[in-house]
Amino acid sequence: MNCRDWEERLALYQGGDLPRHEAVQVERHLADCLGCQLFHSGLKEAQELLQELHREPLAPAHFAAVRARVLSELERERRPAGQTITSGLLAFWRSGWGLGFAEVAAALLVMLVARPVLPPVRQPSKQVPAVSGKAVAPAVLPPVSPNPNEASPVRAGTQGAHVTRRIRPRQTHAQSPEPVLIKMVPDNPDVVIYWIADTRGD
Amino acid sequence: MRTLTLLATVGLLDSPEGRSTVIQAAQAGDLAAFEQLMRQYERMVLVTALRLLGSVEDAQDVSQDVFLKLYRNLGKVDSSGAVSGWLYRVTVNACHDVRRRRPASVPMEEAGEVASGAADPQQQTAAEERRRVLQLSLRLLSEKERDALVLRDMEGLSTEEVARVLGSSEATVRSQISKARVKVKGFVERYFRRRV
Repeated sequence: MNCRDWEERLALYQGGDLPRHEAVQVERHLADCLGCQLFHSGLKEAQELLQELHREPLAPAHFAAVRARVLSELERERRPAGQTITSGLLAFWRSGWGLGFAEVAAALLVMLVARPVLPPVRQPSKQVPAVSGKAVAPAVLPPVSPNPNEASPVRAGTQGAHVTRRIRPRQTHAQSPEPVLIKMVPDNPDVVIYWIADTRGD
Repeated sequence: MRTLTLLATVGLLDSPEGRSTVIQAAQAGDLAAFEQLMRQYERMVLVTALRLLGSVEDAQDVSQDVFLKLYRNLGKVDSSGAVSGWLYRVTVNACHDVRRRRPASVPMEEAGEVASGAADPQQQTAAEERRRVLQLSLRLLSEKERDALVLRDMEGLSTEEVARVLGSSEATVRSQISKARVKVKGFVERYFRRRV
């Protein structure tokens, strides 16, 4: 048998990884083969160096750093999310910015409540709309003065709100339609709602 | 309080029952008990990762991941009764993940960052060089060969234990170990002969 064939077995023998009967065969061969004895001593030396390297102590700081990182991560995970948010808000309030922020927020809230809610407004078209041929008078509109400036507002009670319609003079086909301005006064005296419709009766 | 808990757990980890007690305490949220558990296994995890990766920083990252996983799986580990086997398996897998993410940037030379006891600078330089050569020799091995060699020859696990950690057969592990030993021997001899 060529000595190269013994190499892997010698490597296993060196680490005590061979079954007893194979170990005996290797020992017999080693007793007769100088090349394999040298090979075996090289294996032994390399293995001892590896083990020596492995035994060298690592700086304790390396372990402490890992421990600190793990424990701080676990502490962070264990802290309930609500606690973090509450403590953050408290710190914000204590910093003095909280009061100012609350005042601004309250002002914004008041403005938001008092803001008139307008329906989507279509811009009055400057083009002459396509007309069907006969003008249709709005069915619900009361008679109005032809002059919008003189028009006395007609108030119609509609479920707790007063609606004033200022009706523009009736248009001819050639004229561009003028918008109709509708003012709604709900029960809340602070709120007035306007809306503009570019076609009468809309 | 923390010190008292630490003192109370010292020595408990030596027996399986004591270890189970500490694991249960850690599972109940006692971080001092978990710290004690970490102290028990930190060398094993960090040094194994260091030999497999060759970089202290990478090994520390792996150790952190491994211990966080341990904390989250304490119940499973306690019932299996084999903390070290579980830790080796998770460490080896975490090292594979790191190598897959950064295959070309493993600075094996960094592995020489140890607390040296040698006062003589010449002696220290020789020790550092030997350390570097050995780490380089580990780098020459395939991933499987390195895993098997580190666990068998450096960590001292039996072939059967190595096979269990790596999820291979004993025959495969034996083949990997023998090839790895021959390669390391060849590298070390070539390097030192050239130096002489």
